[in-house]
Amino acid sequence: MELEELQSIWKHNDPGFQLKDENEIALMLKGNSQSIVDKLKRSVWFELIFTFVAGLALLIYALTLPSGALKWTSVSILLLFVAYSFYYIKKLTLLRQYNPAGENIRVSLERLTNDLTSYLRFYKRSYTVLYPIYFVLGLMFGALERGPDKFINNLSQPRTIIYLLVVALVFFFCSTWVTNWYLKKLYGNHLEKLRTLLNDIHQ
Amino acid sequence: MASGEEQRFINLINEHQGLIHKICFMYEHDSDARNDLFQEIVLQLWRSFPSFRGEAKITTWMYRIALNTAISGFRKQTRLVKTEDLQEVHMNISDSWADDREEDFQKLQWAVRQLPEIERAMIMMALEEVPYDEIAETIGITQNNVRVRMNRIREKLRKLMCP
Repeated sequence: MELEELQSIWKHNDPGFQLKDENEIALMLKGNSQSIVDKLKRSVWFELIFTFVAGLALLIYALTLPSGALKWTSVSILLLFVAYSFYYIKKLTLLRQYNPAGENIRVSLERLTNDLTSYLRFYKRSYTVLYPIYFVLGLMFGALERGPDKFINNLSQPRTIIYLLVVALVFFFCSTWVTNWYLKKLYGNHLEKLRTLLNDIHQ
Repeated sequence: MASGEEQRFINLINEHQGLIHKICFMYEHDSDARNDLFQEIVLQLWRSFPSFRGEAKITTWMYRIALNTAISGFRKQTRLVKTEDLQEVHMNISDSWADDREEDFQKLQWAVRQLPEIERAMIMMALEEVPYDEIAETIGITQNNVRVRMNRIREKLRKLMCP
C-alpha cells in the first residue's frame, strides 16, 4: 500500500468533527492545564508553601522551648526545611524552562523523563533515608535529655534493643512501602509510559 | 471581550482546528477525553503563542505543540479503554455507510489508532502531507530514519487493513 494511496483515502473523507465556536475557544483559554509539567509545578508550589508554613510554625514553637533535646530536634528539622525549600525553588525554575514549542518530541520526552526521575528519586531518598535518620536523631535527643548514663544503661538491655529494632524496622518498611506505592500512583505509571515512548523513538 | 492578541489567536485556532481535532481523535477514545485533550492543546498553544515569530510554518508549530501535548505532556485520569475490533468497524460501516471509500477511510483510521503513539504521530503527519524533513524535525530523528520507519508503518497498516 503506497503512501499516496493512503493520503488519498485520508484526504477525501470528512471525519465529522464537531467544530468549536469562538466562544468555546475563548473559554478554554481560561481553564487550568492538566499537563504533567503543570501538575508537577502545582505539587512543588504546594510543598514549598507547606514547608514554609510548617517551618515558620516550628520556628515560633522552638523559640518558646528551653534548651534541650526537643529544641535541638526542632532546629535540625528547620535546617532540613531550609534545604528542601532551596530544592523546591530550583525545581520550579527548571520546570519553568520547559517549553514544548521550542523542543521536538524526543527532547521533550528526555527532559520530562529526567525531571520526573529526579523528582521521584528525591522523594524516595527523603522518605526512606532522611525520615529514619530523624527517627534515630529524635530518639537520641530524647535519650540524651534523660542523661547519658541512663541512656546507655537502657540501651544495653536486650529488651530495649529488640523493641527499638522492631520499631525502626516497622517504621522503615512502612515508610518505604507507602512511599513507593504513593509515588507510583502519582507519577510512576506516567514515567513508565515516557520511557516506553523514548524507547520507541530510539528504535 | 477578547484582546487583540487573544482574538488573533482564536482566529488562528478557528482556522486550523481540524488539525487539533484529528490529533485528539487519534489519541483519545471517548469524547470527554478528546475534549479535555483539545482544551489542553489549545492552552499549550496559547502559552507558546507570544514566542511564535513565524520562523516556522504555522502548522509545523501547531503539530509540534499538539503532538508533544498528546504524547508526552497530558496526564489524564486512567480510563478503561475498550479495544475496538476491526470486525466492529466493518459492522458499523455496513450499518451506516455503503460507500467503499468511506469503508477504506474507517479502516485506515482504525489501523492508525492501533499503532504505537510515536508511529501514529509520524503517519498522521505523513497522511496530512507534511514533508519528511518537517516530520523528522518534529519527532527529533533523522530524515533517513523517518523514511525507514515510514516503510515499516506502511507495512503494518497494510497488514492491519487487509489481514
